[in-house]
Amino acid sequence: MDFYLGLIQIIGVHTLLGLSAYCVLLTGQVSLAQAGFFAIGAYVAGILTVLAQWPLIPALAVAAVVSGAVACAVGFPALRVKGLMLVVATVAFGEAVRLFFFNFTYQIQAGVLHLGPHGAEGFRQIRYFPQHGWSTLDVALFIWTVVALVMAGLWWLDHSRIGAVLRAVGEDELAAQSVGINITAVKVSAMTVGGFIAGIGGGIFAHYTTHIEHAQFGVVLATFAIAYPILGGLSNVFGTLLAAVFIQGFLIEGLRFMGDWRNLLFGGLIVLAMNVRPRGLLDAGTTRALRRLFAPRKERSGA
Amino acid sequence: MDLLDLIDAVQSVADGVLFGATYSLLGIGFTLIFGVMHKINLSYAAASIGAAYASLLVMSVVQAPAVLAFVAAAAAGGVIGGLVYLVGFRFIPLANPLATLMSTVGLLLLIDEIIVHATDGVPLSYPALFSDVIVQVGPFGLRGDLMFVFALGCVCMVLLLLLLYRTRLGLATRAVSQQPTASLLCGISTTRVNVLTFVITGVVGGIAGAMTGAAIGMLSPLLSLPLTVKGLIVTVIGGLGSIPGAIIAGLIVGGLENAFQFFRGVSERDLYIMLLLFAFLVFRPGGIFAKSSGRD
Amino acid sequence: MLELPVLELKDVSKHFGGVRAVDGVDLGVARGEILALIGPNGSGKSTIVNLICGLFPLTAGRVVLDGVDISGMPMHARVTGGVARTFQNIRLFGQLTVWQNLWVAQNSGEQRRQNFGRRWFGGSRGARGEVERTLEFFDLAHKSNELAANLAFGEQRRLEFARALSAKPALLLLDEPAAGMNAEEIDQLDNRIRKVRDDGVTVLLIEHQMELVMSIADRIAVLNFGRKIAEGTPAEVQASPLVREAYLGTPEIA
Repeated sequence: MDFYLGLIQIIGVHTLLGLSAYCVLLTGQVSLAQAGFFAIGAYVAGILTVLAQWPLIPALAVAAVVSGAVACAVGFPALRVKGLMLVVATVAFGEAVRLFFFNFTYQIQAGVLHLGPHGAEGFRQIRYFPQHGWSTLDVALFIWTVVALVMAGLWWLDHSRIGAVLRAVGEDELAAQSVGINITAVKVSAMTVGGFIAGIGGGIFAHYTTHIEHAQFGVVLATFAIAYPILGGLSNVFGTLLAAVFIQGFLIEGLRFMGDWRNLLFGGLIVLAMNVRPRGLLDAGTTRALRRLFAPRKERSGA
Repeated sequence: MDLLDLIDAVQSVADGVLFGATYSLLGIGFTLIFGVMHKINLSYAAASIGAAYASLLVMSVVQAPAVLAFVAAAAAGGVIGGLVYLVGFRFIPLANPLATLMSTVGLLLLIDEIIVHATDGVPLSYPALFSDVIVQVGPFGLRGDLMFVFALGCVCMVLLLLLLYRTRLGLATRAVSQQPTASLLCGISTTRVNVLTFVITGVVGGIAGAMTGAAIGMLSPLLSLPLTVKGLIVTVIGGLGSIPGAIIAGLIVGGLENAFQFFRGVSERDLYIMLLLFAFLVFRPGGIFAKSSGRD
Repeated sequence: MLELPVLELKDVSKHFGGVRAVDGVDLGVARGEILALIGPNGSGKSTIVNLICGLFPLTAGRVVLDGVDISGMPMHARVTGGVARTFQNIRLFGQLTVWQNLWVAQNSGEQRRQNFGRRWFGGSRGARGEVERTLEFFDLAHKSNELAANLAFGEQRRLEFARALSAKPALLLLDEPAAGMNAEEIDQLDNRIRKVRDDGVTVLLIEHQMELVMSIADRIAVLNFGRKIAEGTPAEVQASPLVREAYLGTPEIA
């Protein structure tokens, strides 16, 4: 049972990571910096609960704000470049963050224990959940409450004018400018929201794993972050959720019985999926078909 | 800092510049693919390492001198390059850049895992050439294996430049990279040019992979991610689409890497490289040879 | 012309390297008129549109909108200031629906000053009424929920026109709106441009289709090799020997 609860926790946190990339991808920007924002969230939240003895929720809130602020600050210069240049700029930023934590030591003495981040060894003993008597189930429920809130928020944004403007920028930046959209403001805002969500995700991640270290936040994690929304499709937030379940639940855990053949299948299935469904698993066509299935009358009168 | 330290520092930078030829080749590969397809092939460095592994496989079957490992790696690189195009690009609509980006990520993971699966994740030693030779230039000693790697890299670059600027194939490649539709109307098959570009960059990558193996003395699937990042860095510092830029940038990155390592230690080395790169990208996105800051 | 012109180009130049795409052009567009800008291919008409809307910076000169120098403003700020445009090669947001294309374009100064919360977070319902009226006018209301990419060519042209109007511009720049249209569609376009002008929008029209130009333009300016060679009523321009020369070549060479 605990195994499945653990899996559910992983899927929840990775969904948050994917959603942070989703915001940025909507504006047509491929950012590999999300792992960096995730790392900032993880370390900030961990430091606040362990070293400053804060309760969890305010610690997560501060972690999200710090990540969002960093994303905003990085977004201004970084979003001047596009395409491959942006990919590389964000890889550079993400790696710089990871390497910063690789070299970052700030410890305090607590009885016999040394607490706090310790360079390459990482940050151990983030024991907020066990200390406060949270069971694995409690943690899983908490994670999914946060996921549900974030998804609801993004769903709402998606259906407001903001969603349409983000997509317009993603589709054609020149046309967007020529209808009066300030594309820099839009892109930086999307980056900031993405950083904010990644910060929440990272903060939760730090607490359920209890031990974080720089190697967890590398290019691979950044790639996973963009993989969820791309694989799931950008037509709505559920694509990202679906892809997180598919990758973490099916490809990584579900295929465990295949031994080390599983990893081979993992890369292969991603390649296959992109060949078969280039716009993602849950693309606009599928979404429409599903909606027609569940609300046939409304769709017909609209068309 | 006394004289001995200075000599050590220069020595270390010189080693880095020599090894930088590997980065140059990878940068050229990324640049060429981007030039022709306007797509990023993130599986490129992994494929290069894969080709070096394939050459080890060949060497284990056939008894041959170590030089042949490089030939085998080049051939394997070409084959893998063609396969990467077929699987990751051929059938995915070009209008959807995210899909090809993701498919190359999938290929990167796939190639890495094939290597892990075939070798049980254990690093394999790679034949180094001239590793016992050290040329003394004044107080500096140049390692024979690194000099060989550097020389081989230079030969590859010259051949590649000749191919691009002196043959019909090169002309077609450059035409496609500048005006794909017009080239199509002139009777150039873009698909064929695309395939050939992947095969050629694959050959170059295979040699770069073998050079990496020879310079370090071993191969490991853990090399592919850092090499991907370094290759991308070289591509953008050199300026997208610029082959001379990629060559110079490769050597600079190689030298800087060792310089930072010498002065700040191995754990902080890449941090400075990344910060430098970020600043470079943001304030000079056109690369080292750009006329202005490239902002439009 | 006592009233201040909506738009003034003062000695405007744009050079691309050695090419003088636009070279010292003065042009005034009076409030409420339809001014047509014509000239042979490559004479600099589209460049002028791009300079007015801020796609690239001026080499020299000034662009003045309602008495305000907008030469240094970014593109989106000029839209808010009252200039909207269409593109010669259509640039719609293909993966947005027809009505969303108009929704995202509501960026006039007045629209921006509206209730921030309702404007950005309010959902589609409130915005829809105004959008539907515009779509009705362009005979696109029945396509409201279609993706823009799935429209026919003529419909896409109309949608671009509609999208430009969504920002409630004082000055509308139409870059070859009749290209690729048949006679009936041009007729409808003619009516719509007049109607838009009657609603108080000033129109700067760039067009090759002379029948349309001669029919609706109040005044015409003629460009050749980046310079303005004639300006006046359609009859005056038609009579100008310089204009004939630009279009047909000098008699000696021809």
